Amino acid sequence: MDNIIELKNVTYEYTEEDKVYAAVKNISLDIKRGSFTVILGHNGSGKSTLAKLLNGLNKPTFGDVMVDGINTKSEEDELKVKSLVGMVFQNPDNQLIASIVEEDVAFGPENLGLEPSLIRQRVDEALKAVDMYDFKRSTPHRLSGGQKQRIAIAGIIAMEPACLVLDEPTAMLDPKGRAEIIETLIRLKEQKGITIVLITHYMEEAENADRVIVMNDGEIIADDKPKEIFKCVKKLKEVGLDVPQTTELLYELKEKGFKVNTNVISVELTAKEIAKALNLEEK
Amino acid sequence: MSILEVRGLTHSYSGNTPFVNDAVSNVSFSIEKGEIIGIIGHTGSGKSTLVQHLNGLLKPTEGTVLLENEDIWKSPKEIRKIRSKVGLVFQYPEYQLFEETVYADIAFGPKNMGLEGEELENRIEEICKIVGVKPEYLEKSPFDLSGGEKRRVAIAGVLAMRPEVIVFDEPTAGLDPRGREDVMQIIKDYRKAYDATVIIISHSMEDMAQTVDKILVMNKGKIEMFGSVNEVFSKGEKLLEIGLNVPVVTKVFSKLKSMGIPVNPDVFTVEAAIKELERLREGDKNA
Repeated sequence: MDNIIELKNVTYEYTEEDKVYAAVKNISLDIKRGSFTVILGHNGSGKSTLAKLLNGLNKPTFGDVMVDGINTKSEEDELKVKSLVGMVFQNPDNQLIASIVEEDVAFGPENLGLEPSLIRQRVDEALKAVDMYDFKRSTPHRLSGGQKQRIAIAGIIAMEPACLVLDEPTAMLDPKGRAEIIETLIRLKEQKGITIVLITHYMEEAENADRVIVMNDGEIIADDKPKEIFKCVKKLKEVGLDVPQTTELLYELKEKGFKVNTNVISVELTAKEIAKALNLEEK
Repeated sequence: MSILEVRGLTHSYSGNTPFVNDAVSNVSFSIEKGEIIGIIGHTGSGKSTLVQHLNGLLKPTEGTVLLENEDIWKSPKEIRKIRSKVGLVFQYPEYQLFEETVYADIAFGPKNMGLEGEELENRIEEICKIVGVKPEYLEKSPFDLSGGEKRRVAIAGVLAMRPEVIVFDEPTAGLDPRGREDVMQIIKDYRKAYDATVIIISHSMEDMAQTVDKILVMNKGKIEMFGSVNEVFSKGEKLLEIGLNVPVVTKVFSKLKSMGIPVNPDVFTVEAAIKELERLREGDKNA
């Protein structure tokens, strides 16, 4: 099967003070196996609700979510769905439970009832995958935020999910920690073929994705390759998204009549665009 | 006049054990009244330990903290007075909301300072205007508010004590761009209204470039640099070496410079970048 996750006309409603609100409104969406998808949206856009729909933590009010062909509403397959789609949340401190790194990573596989030798193997592999093998005997609370979050990711990887859903995993990290997480995700996709769904409001984290989905008010308002998405600076700003400084700079320059393309995001390419525009005008 | 001065401050955790560890070691600096200071440093560099000394939450292992030229630990029994003069807003302050109503939560600090009756009412009304908490919210439970609103209420609780110096530990972490702008605006408005001195810890070099007068750079418990935004961000290589960064737009300008384009590389905001490039364009036309 080509799609690991399929959403068919999914609506999710919740009730507050006797009023019904829809956090996700009639969304249909396919996530390709082995792909890296970024879901962008501001706080309250429905992106976290959507994340929890992907592994059955939330069940759709209307419509269906299929994970590897299994409906997340099916009670008997509940564990199957959760082992196929692993979740990582914002705060690493809320996700680590053991006092030694390798014990924390082993928690998941132990609960799957695996053989001890297999658990050992899974833990080692998972720690290597997030580049934290050297810290396996460390205490989590002595690690940096980025390192802790990588341990949380290793704990999920050790259960060998087909898909990893991360809900703002970098929001509490410093710039170095953020970069570590994004690098780790790219590696997991390329080396282990794990499907990645990254939910964030930092647009620059979408640079390496195969596909970017923009959510606003419970709906998908854009769904395209990163380059195409980054072109619509104005639209993204309107829906309260973080636009990288490079994109903002190019956009403002274009408004002032500089001949630049606004669909690049890296420092290198931005500098090239500016250099090109300056030379053009010289002639 | 310096409002706050730190002299030879050292703080050791786990003293008298084999795990003894200097989180802050021999740090000295002073801050002028009304200044807005940014503190940057990688995780574990000692930023949070340092600022917890400024209002006496932690006691220095060595050294002194002077508020308006007086040692804050001169009479330890009065340390609580210091805490209303130097406010500290922690990371994710909304986790510390605890009262039944928004009003009670904001009133908790000023009440403990001895405010009551009309004075208390006025104080809360005033601060709600600055942080943008609407009057109809005051009787709500703080737990029914959105994340951004909760943070505003938590900040209001500290500002309601009307501190002369206010320290924010990553005030915008976890907020979306609109929420971040709101919080930065609150900080600016409060400072303007009460002529307050502000210290902000942040990981966002872009926010720092836009907001602060001076930047203090922490590395491994020591001060690596303390100077104007210009002085600090012009030392990009050193910052990278200690796990920090410069604003993205500054990187673009370093790149342009290295490509042989005659730009001034000391550009730290998008606004300044546009000006510099327009200058270059105009210059070209005149040539």
